[in-house]
Amino acid sequence: MACHLFSTPTTRRTMLRNSACGFGQVALSALLAGGSHASPDSADTAMTIPGPHFPARYKRIIFLFMWGGPSHVDLFDPKPQLNKSDGQPLPPAAVGSNRKSMGNVLGSPFRFAQHGEGGVWISELFPHLARQSDRLCVIRSMHTEGSAHGEALLRLHTGQANLVRPSVGAWVSYGLGSENENLPAYITISPPRGHGGVQNYGNAFLPAIHQGTAIGSAETPIAQAKLSHINNPRFDLATQRSQLDLIQTLNRKHLNDVKYDPNIEGLIANYELAFRMQSTIPQIMSLEDESPETHALYGIGQEPTDNFGRQCLLARKFAESGVRYIQVSTDYTWDHHKELQSGMVTESAKVDRPMAGLLVDLARRGLLDDTLVLWGAEFGRTPTVENGDGRNHHPQGFTMWMAGGGVQGGLTYGATDEFGYRPVENPVHMHDLHATLLYGLGLDHKRLTYRHAGRDFRLTDVAGNIVKDLWT
Amino acid sequence: MSVLAKTSCCALFVILGLTSVGLTTLAVASDPSQEAGIAYFEKHIRPLLAQHCYQCHSQRADKSEGGLLLDRRVGWMQGGDRGPSIELDDPQGDLQVSLLIRAVRYEDPELEMPPTRKLPPSDIAHLEHWVRMGAPAPDDDSLNLAEMTTDPSDPVLGKSHWAYMPLAEREPLPLNEIEWPRTVLDQWILAGLEAQGLEPSPAAAPRDLVRRVYFQLTGLPPTFQQVDVFLGKCHATNIDQAMEELVDQLLASPRFGQRWGRHWLDLARYADSNGLDENFLFREAWRYRNWVIDSVNADLSYDRFLLEQVAGDLLPYESVQQRDRQRIAAGFLVVGPKVLLGNDEKNQRMEVADEQIDTIGRALLGQTLGCARCHNHKFDPFPTADYYALAGVFASTRVMEMRHMLGQQRLMERLVGLGEQGKDVDDAYEAYWREQPNLKSKTEKAASVLKAINENNTAALGKLRESQAEAFAERLRDATTRESLSIEDQVAAQEAWVRELTSALAHPPAIPPRAMIPSDVDEPADECVRIAGQFDDLGGKVPRGFLTVLQDAEGSEIPIDQSGRVELGQWLTDREGRAGQLAARVMVNRIWHHLMGSGIVRTVDNFGRTGESPSHPELLDHLARKFIDSDWSVKALVREIVLSRTFMQSSQYHAGNYATDPDNRSLWRSNRRRLDPESIRDAMLAVAGQMDWTPMDSSVAYLGDQATAVGANKVRRRTDMPCRSVYLPVIRNDLPELFAIFDFADPHTTTGARPNTTVPAQGLFMLNDPMVMQTAESTATRILAEVQTDDLAAKAARLFELVFNVTASDIHSDQDEQQAMQVFLAQTEERLKSEGQENAELSALTMAAQALFASSRFSILE
Repeated sequence: MACHLFSTPTTRRTMLRNSACGFGQVALSALLAGGSHASPDSADTAMTIPGPHFPARYKRIIFLFMWGGPSHVDLFDPKPQLNKSDGQPLPPAAVGSNRKSMGNVLGSPFRFAQHGEGGVWISELFPHLARQSDRLCVIRSMHTEGSAHGEALLRLHTGQANLVRPSVGAWVSYGLGSENENLPAYITISPPRGHGGVQNYGNAFLPAIHQGTAIGSAETPIAQAKLSHINNPRFDLATQRSQLDLIQTLNRKHLNDVKYDPNIEGLIANYELAFRMQSTIPQIMSLEDESPETHALYGIGQEPTDNFGRQCLLARKFAESGVRYIQVSTDYTWDHHKELQSGMVTESAKVDRPMAGLLVDLARRGLLDDTLVLWGAEFGRTPTVENGDGRNHHPQGFTMWMAGGGVQGGLTYGATDEFGYRPVENPVHMHDLHATLLYGLGLDHKRLTYRHAGRDFRLTDVAGNIVKDLWT
Repeated sequence: MSVLAKTSCCALFVILGLTSVGLTTLAVASDPSQEAGIAYFEKHIRPLLAQHCYQCHSQRADKSEGGLLLDRRVGWMQGGDRGPSIELDDPQGDLQVSLLIRAVRYEDPELEMPPTRKLPPSDIAHLEHWVRMGAPAPDDDSLNLAEMTTDPSDPVLGKSHWAYMPLAEREPLPLNEIEWPRTVLDQWILAGLEAQGLEPSPAAAPRDLVRRVYFQLTGLPPTFQQVDVFLGKCHATNIDQAMEELVDQLLASPRFGQRWGRHWLDLARYADSNGLDENFLFREAWRYRNWVIDSVNADLSYDRFLLEQVAGDLLPYESVQQRDRQRIAAGFLVVGPKVLLGNDEKNQRMEVADEQIDTIGRALLGQTLGCARCHNHKFDPFPTADYYALAGVFASTRVMEMRHMLGQQRLMERLVGLGEQGKDVDDAYEAYWREQPNLKSKTEKAASVLKAINENNTAALGKLRESQAEAFAERLRDATTRESLSIEDQVAAQEAWVRELTSALAHPPAIPPRAMIPSDVDEPADECVRIAGQFDDLGGKVPRGFLTVLQDAEGSEIPIDQSGRVELGQWLTDREGRAGQLAARVMVNRIWHHLMGSGIVRTVDNFGRTGESPSHPELLDHLARKFIDSDWSVKALVREIVLSRTFMQSSQYHAGNYATDPDNRSLWRSNRRRLDPESIRDAMLAVAGQMDWTPMDSSVAYLGDQATAVGANKVRRRTDMPCRSVYLPVIRNDLPELFAIFDFADPHTTTGARPNTTVPAQGLFMLNDPMVMQTAESTATRILAEVQTDDLAAKAARLFELVFNVTASDIHSDQDEQQAMQVFLAQTEERLKSEGQENAELSALTMAAQALFASSRFSILE
């Protein structure tokens, strides 16, 4: 049986675009040369994956994920009314709620100022980032569902909470493939183990090659994390290559015997990728080649920024190497149900310099134009007080920001009401954000579909409006 | 008007939930014409409003976009920000005066509703007709009442959901192909296939089948000899006969429990440590793990298996052994993860109860009960009151207590001494640690007295005697008080005393045999509903009880002085009750899932409305009934399924069948599957001849109180014991790497279906992990010992035999593999020799063995 996907002349690019396995399929096709194979789905697949749908504004995304949910009204969305009403009940009518009691308002203990030419408001917690304010496009009108971390994390990462769906990065990998054959298209640095865990970077029904490759986990300092089993204790790469050839001969034979099995296909593709990663990853993960000046820029080698600085620098290196979607996660440290003030001071200090450093570094290397940096969390926090000096989870309205990727710097988009409770201007739902992220990559969220169990699925389900106003 | 309405999947489910319970009307109408109008509304209008509009325009959704509510007459008559939605005075007669109609017609770009998609013409026509009728509807009071009765959490209406219905027994439909089915099971499968125009696959090759059965029942490959025996029997009798004998033999093997016990441990979120905030070691959890394995091996009836886990500590017993066994079973309630620090005690009690309710709900009943903690369940018929009825049971159960452990006092899992003297020994142990700080200071004081005597320092002694009068008085052998003694005797006596104290301090008693066991609290009590799940926001009190939707008649009374866990266990396993029958369905489906690769209900932990419907509902009920009638015998059910034609099918691809049913929901073939991490590891150890088959007790005894190596604590869980994988440490947040990479169950929570990923990390593991290399080397060593020739073909053949359990000639048109293997062996050996490596032959063979372990034929089961 001939595989029509490979039997007709096709450029590598079309193949990447059309194949279910992205570049993994390229490796596979090389392996299959001689032996042939057919994927019964490939005909559908070629039709239902339209690849880039319009010119891309950027090639990749770095998502800085603040696990726990930082308070938007203490970082980016100043609300003087909170301080005026401090200790008073939050009037339900003022925030459009039907509930009787909303609790008492908690004023922000932090000072805000406008920065740069765009006049973006940033509180004193992020002094380094404030100096990059004209690169930021701050979306103050985010809203989502899920008032518990698990649900909200899953919605942030997969668009859904009650069903297992592919994560954003998996969709991106599926839609565009990798720019680098030796690296996965989707890498997640220090991902959370809780609140959905692997599901947050899973591939669900998409081919397994699109699953995020995890490096370390949120609880472990990144300096100690390595991709495990990245080298063989006994045999050199050349010897191992001949061993791998033997393995793949056996696998191809197996695949040939059973005619079609996506798991065996995935296994074959994975071995190739794994082998290439053995030389590529250690190179990238070593930060030693970077200058002391760069280390300092990210706050590496000093506390409290060393860990997040390393993560951000690693993200830059992966971006540089052509990884499509890179997520960097903090530990579960932004959940300030109490002691908001001291907690936010501590956590902000860990990430402020590294984030700013990342933006500067990307810019000076010419990477910021085609890299979108996204910052945010599963939700924001209530304008009201909890436990005397904390704030509760708040999905109804919160802030995320973008930088690079051609978005308008110095822009403040959308607004919440006077208490920061819910969006009153240009609301951006999580589905809208997802649609917009894909749009920037040249992917139409309505056309990036995958046929599974009899219907076409997409990241945004039946929702999602692209927020084109973020670009001029 | 905002056009930002979203149709999230969640909202879709709300709608599904609504429609599935039926939009019952309680409309009150006397006028017959009025009645007809209301009937029209109920039949055509309310469902479409509910489906397309209520997300953004109803009180239930807490949304009135544009100020408009469409869940009441006053809502559409008064309208929202733009004014009334319906205008009955319509001189033109084209209904353009009614905003509602204009919006759904999509004629005004500023006003297109619903925003996501235009309604189908039939719906628009219904709306138009209804407005022309004068927009009849029940009055608002009854409308609201009606809304309440269609609440998805209504347990009375909820009884009609398939999962809560009593088991039904139906005759399979007449079949075309009457030869194929062996049992009723096969008849139902075949009926499904024929309905879709599909044919079952031929039987798997005996070699594939024997490997499949061994792995499924024992988690291990057959040895080459075992394959031979099976093939011989197939030859001598027939495959059915051979299968029956094989299955009975494997069911009787202790290795069955080591595999199938692990399936249960996935559900029981079994772990050797707490996880979450403080990852304290569960030093005694292994006793529960081994109880599960033993119970599965003994084929303890599933109803008893559940009862003991829910209430084992409360059941009568005839011997201390039985008492301890039952108590250990109830450790099921104790092994959950708990937030241990900084938690309000009352909050903690509710948190722990919540974890238990969630686990029992999903693991035993396939229900997401946890959702009803903060609000009535959004999809399933569980009002908050039901949740707190159960919460009363678990809040009346104690699973944690303050204990002294290794020098500190902390909140920990409840431990009870085992054996005849268990309590005394445990009390003594506790007493030692409680007194240990005293012992410490006593020792220090005695030492300072000794020092004073030694120095013959009367002043110091006098001072000490004054400042530590108590210590002096207490001391039996306080030599210094007997001043008549010579100074030497005083010193000697005091030295002996100091020695005794120091030794007691240096040699704490051994940790006595104990187990994690719950108990009822001293004063069991009903719980109050917690408003929005806040532990300190009390609503009305709810009598302890179970789930209304699964209640048949009057539930049995819970005695006032007991938690009610015994009654809970009886309710869960009542073979004639809805709960018991649901529990049977859920378990049958789990067994099916493990054997077939996916469940009849694929959402194995969710039989609620958001779960999937069964692909073969009659078969599920048939097997559940059989399961109950076999006295809940898991082994009998496994046997029934494994000996079916359905199970024995080949996994071969078939283009026609695939085109119709790519997901294999109808089971036109056997599902090909990747081995789980335990099977991968155990198979490698078995092939290498390295497995230590002895069942293991604790595999974490060497760990300190903190199970995760953090900070100063450098001791980390080991994975290098050559035991079966089920005995390896399951430390939450620090699983053995093999487990984490190959989709082991997350031990924080019930896992009925493990994820199934194929990622590069798995490739890296097989290529580079020391354990893989070591088992490969042992395999190579074994071959060198067995095949004492230089014949590469012989070595390659033996390697295939050992790793794949087949002679190389059996692998379909195997010449390529054979050839490739021999070439590899020759070239690698030569290369390594040329590099000056010693043992080049062993190394080459090691790499070859590793290659076979890494290959798809090893890890993917036909």
